[in-house]
Amino acid sequence: MDEIAAEFIRRTVLKIPRGEIKTLLQKWGFLSETQLQAINFHQIKENISLDVVQLCEENSADIKQAAVLDIIYNYVYSNKRVWSVYQMNKPGEETEFFDISDFKKKFKRQLRSALKNVTINFREYEDNAIWIRIAWGTPYTKPNQYKTSYVVYHSQTPYVFVSASVLKSNLPLLCQALVVASNYHEIREMELRSRSLNSLKDIVFKRYSQAFQSYYPRPLEDRKVSPESTDLRVIQENKNEKERIQRVNREVFGEGPQPKLEFAQYKLETMFKSDPKMNVLDKKEPFRCLVKFSSPHLLESLKSLALAGMADAPLSPLLTCIPQKARNYFKIREKKGLFPGSFVSP
Amino acid sequence: GVFAHLEMLEVQAHEAALKQEEMEEQEEKLARLKARVQELRLQRDELRAKVDLQQKGQLGKEGVVSDPAQPSARAVLEWKIRSVKAMLQIFCLTGISGKLTKRGVCFCISTAYKGTYLDSYYLDLLTKPEVKIHRHSIPIFIPLEQIAKKYLQTDIRRFLSVLSDHLNAYVGRRYQADQLQEHFSDQIEGTLQRNSLHNLLVFNYKVSSENQTFPFNVRLLYGDLCCSLPTEVTISCTPEAPAALAEMAAAHSDLFRRTALHKAFRSISGAGASVD
Repeated sequence: MDEIAAEFIRRTVLKIPRGEIKTLLQKWGFLSETQLQAINFHQIKENISLDVVQLCEENSADIKQAAVLDIIYNYVYSNKRVWSVYQMNKPGEETEFFDISDFKKKFKRQLRSALKNVTINFREYEDNAIWIRIAWGTPYTKPNQYKTSYVVYHSQTPYVFVSASVLKSNLPLLCQALVVASNYHEIREMELRSRSLNSLKDIVFKRYSQAFQSYYPRPLEDRKVSPESTDLRVIQENKNEKERIQRVNREVFGEGPQPKLEFAQYKLETMFKSDPKMNVLDKKEPFRCLVKFSSPHLLESLKSLALAGMADAPLSPLLTCIPQKARNYFKIREKKGLFPGSFVSP
Repeated sequence: GVFAHLEMLEVQAHEAALKQEEMEEQEEKLARLKARVQELRLQRDELRAKVDLQQKGQLGKEGVVSDPAQPSARAVLEWKIRSVKAMLQIFCLTGISGKLTKRGVCFCISTAYKGTYLDSYYLDLLTKPEVKIHRHSIPIFIPLEQIAKKYLQTDIRRFLSVLSDHLNAYVGRRYQADQLQEHFSDQIEGTLQRNSLHNLLVFNYKVSSENQTFPFNVRLLYGDLCCSLPTEVTISCTPEAPAALAEMAAAHSDLFRRTALHKAFRSISGAGASVD
């Protein structure tokens, strides 16, 4: 068996948490059930990985099989990568009859015509997601299986999710191949990044919970009723304010869970406003400042800020517009005109 | 004569007696009526006393004099509110319902496929200065922008109707594919190839003829996005297949074009089952 493939499989198995190795190998489907039964999954991972490689040798695994295992690993542990969102555009209005075999052919042909040394693998998932794994080489070297980019595309949508983690020089090739294969004209990167691929999908596909007003009776199972203090001697002094905040939160964030983002970044290019007598920044240059909000779950924490008493409700629209505008990177510049203010760049 | 005089006196006496009787009768009658009047007066007084008592008793409890048979104004209002709410909820089941918002109106399009209610989608519209879409939860692959460009400004009813047709047809196509995968996965070889809009479905299934099984490849193209039945059906089989299969392929092709996918499959797989 190809040594590179063997080593790659071994290293991939080592990345998987021990309790999950069997499940992932089963999903891979390359080793039979009997072969899997023969492996002792309670030994140390080093030994498990060697056993797996041994069995793969028996089955003559090649780089293609190794790539499939890599895709499965990255699908299950997609939050180990940072994903960006790209948006495609086309002038026409005809309906597409998206045929996946057509898409795959065009993508491979376009990419290979620009760079011969690439390994391209596809895998389709239940939710119409097409996963593409590309291992990059150079015009003179074979593809490096450890330098991979992942692309997730849903047919007939203008959005592509990319986890590049490689040299910037390959991105234009990748973008070109995507545009050609999906019958679009142009592509640009959006200002939206996160480790949670599903949350990014929720935001651009508008699957996240938005606060729509309607008479439609929505199921209320998710509503958490805060336990009221049963002691009648305890009175909530600011009960009205709390209810107001909850109402405002509902109107802004909706009822359901928020998409998971890890940060929001605001690049300020505004003028520092101070007393002219203080003589600070008398050059009248924009005061460059970067504000970054980080959190394991940014939008949920913003939602609970007002309730926790740490911010006023309603929150600044700069924070609450994130899912609606589908961006978490902002540039705030001085508004040009009579009234100095700030505006968010498109 | 005397007899004539006697007779005359008799007659006079008789008449006087009659008159007397009449008068006595009248007096009796009068007495009786007077007694009746007394009785009724007594009854009236008793009832008056009763009513007074009741009034005094009620004042103590509710403070409102009401006929127990008539509902209170508050109860009527509550009933009116309940029935309006129920009406509004029923509107949602009709497929398109709306609620006025501060800056416009929010529409809810509820989709269904042959009696099964499926997803609901929302459209938040601003009405001033012109009709514009503020937010929505329409899937990205539905050509919302195109439909809005055509109808939103000019004919909002048509806009909602066309959008609803697109959404209902989409969920219908998706439902059929899901049903096929759920109930007939054993007859399908490989995977059911779909796309986001579900306007192209490709799959292989087995047919048996003369104790042998042959694979059929089906390609369903849904050219009309507002329709949940395919516009083009292509069934192909391997070149070595017997000629009889060509007939079967044509029959199946016709079936797929006319009937819902899972129902068509049911009649294909069920021996002798009637086409729904």
